[in-house]
Amino acid sequence: MRTILVLAGLLAAACGEIPQDAPKPYAGKEDTKAYASDTFKGDKAKYEQTLAKRAEYQNEYVRTGDAKSK
Amino acid sequence: MARMKFICDAERCIECNGCATACKQEHEVPWGVNRRRLVTVNDGLPGERSISVACMHCSDAPCMAVCPVDCFYKTDDGIVLHDKDLCIGCGYCFYACPFGAPQFPQAGAFGLRGKMDKCTYCAGGPEENHSVEEFRKYGRNRIAEGKLPACAEMCSTKALLAGDAAVITSIYKTRVTTRGKGDEIWGWAVAYGGSGKLAEQGGGKA
Repeated sequence: MRTILVLAGLLAAACGEIPQDAPKPYAGKEDTKAYASDTFKGDKAKYEQTLAKRAEYQNEYVRTGDAKSK
Repeated sequence: MARMKFICDAERCIECNGCATACKQEHEVPWGVNRRRLVTVNDGLPGERSISVACMHCSDAPCMAVCPVDCFYKTDDGIVLHDKDLCIGCGYCFYACPFGAPQFPQAGAFGLRGKMDKCTYCAGGPEENHSVEEFRKYGRNRIAEGKLPACAEMCSTKALLAGDAAVITSIYKTRVTTRGKGDEIWGWAVAYGGSGKLAEQGGGKA
């Protein structure tokens, strides 16, 4: 009886789904961070702020002062 | 942590190819390799729409999953990049990619494939920022200069938006709600986070 239970447990375990989106290891060279360049000198907050501000320039409702939402 | 994404607004794209040209010029992309291109449906018919397509820097990138040499990585900003020194040009990523983003330069006679080339979100690659090697292999690193991808910044109608998902979601939402249509967007939550309904996104007023 005990053997049957153990076998049943093992069989049920085989039905479990392996995670499909597990992060794969990266085998290449390490990249330097974007904010490590001369422009930001390692200041991550400044880098993120600059990019967010730059992205906002794409919103012409704001640029023209015609924003309904801002 | 930012999640850098592209959105192409099909209601605004006028198929001018400015984005593709900007990309080619910025990175000196070789002949036969198109990191960005225009796709038009119903060409010449009423209801014709165009979108600009390149690597979409997927949240769960299939190219990363299938690469046999694990040459792909994701930056802190969610930009999918790869190491050309490791790439063997097998083409698995091309078959896995739903956007046809990976490109292969013809490296010699008999259709021999070179190392994969794709949109880098203007973020260079695994070389020293702004180095000659980085430019030669991956193109210019605009992100490290605090700039957005050249294609989006060049877009005359601002159909192509680039930036942090939260910011461009807000911009797109303002447009859509102003137009008064397109509230439910299939797959939005997977790509950009938040709700699948635009009215429930943060940012612009619905």
